[in-house]
Amino acid sequence: MKKIFLLLTVVSLILTSCGSDNSVEAEGNESKQQESDGHDHDHGDHDHSSSETAERNIQSSDVESNMADAIVDAYLEIKNGLVADDKEAAAKGAESLLASFKDFDMTQLSDEQHTDYMDIMENSKEQAEHIVKSPIDHQREHFEVLSVDLNDMIDLIGTSKSLFQDFCPMASGGKGATWISSSEEIQNPYFGSKMVDCGEIQNKINE
Amino acid sequence: MKKIIKKILLILLIAFVGIQFVPTDRNESDVVLESDFIKSQNVPDNLASLFQTSCYDCHSNNTKYPWYNRIAPVSWMLAEHIEEGKEELNFSTFGDLSSRKQKSKLKSIIRHINNGEMPLSSYTLVHSDAILSNSEKDELDIWLNELRDNL
Repeated sequence: MKKIFLLLTVVSLILTSCGSDNSVEAEGNESKQQESDGHDHDHGDHDHSSSETAERNIQSSDVESNMADAIVDAYLEIKNGLVADDKEAAAKGAESLLASFKDFDMTQLSDEQHTDYMDIMENSKEQAEHIVKSPIDHQREHFEVLSVDLNDMIDLIGTSKSLFQDFCPMASGGKGATWISSSEEIQNPYFGSKMVDCGEIQNKINE
Repeated sequence: MKKIIKKILLILLIAFVGIQFVPTDRNESDVVLESDFIKSQNVPDNLASLFQTSCYDCHSNNTKYPWYNRIAPVSWMLAEHIEEGKEELNFSTFGDLSSRKQKSKLKSIIRHINNGEMPLSSYTLVHSDAILSNSEKDELDIWLNELRDNL
């Protein structure tokens, strides 16, 4: 019996040392891969900065496309959930938003729009994924980022809907935050029932 | 009875030795990429060391492994944990993100530090040096907010 234990210990020692050799090799490969990754991303960034100026030139009122309407509807579903302090409803809206990104027909976008769309969409997707699984105060923080994204998305591809961009100076710990609404009446998604009428209309879209 | 216990122990030992053969990906790299957060965002030295001690083990391409983390099954749990951590945020490639994504990552970083959600308590249990004091949190909060506003 003792002999078996001794044998096993020796075998395990030999094999663990072999294992560490393998890991050195794996490390080498990994770092090479990362380097090439880095280069790819560099190119992506250049593209982005050149198209960013183009994004600003597109006025939402000039473009009346309904491409983004499903995205806007899903966003409003999240907003209404947060206004009602309803975590589940907000999470459901975030799921609709993820679905609307999946269904979005990117072939209708120009090359220039495509780069910006991808950037906004990926960022929004991440926020939506967190809204699906987070408690309501986290949902509201992600919604703040999502609201900026949606505003830029509307700027980029337009909407056929009449919308309002609202602003609450007390949200985001006193920094202030915006959101998009389809009703003229202020309904604050950052405070819900605590301060539902805090805010003002900053901008009207298609009104 | 004794024989059964011995048998069980032997089986466990063989299993323990056996699992050491399963290769585990190690998260280590000597290269500090240009896109590294500390490098690309010119993080001041005192804060850079906080990021390295409190965040980089799970949120960068280079983990400093203590010896016991090289042994399976601990090494597997750790590998999975690091993979998750890097998927959420990888400081090594922060500079590659678009400014939109950098801003939203920074917002999350600030929130997680301020709420005490990060570093994870399961991590600081073993790495007590990773615990951030209140004054360190304040310093990080001010600097990170400034960085976010200037992006």
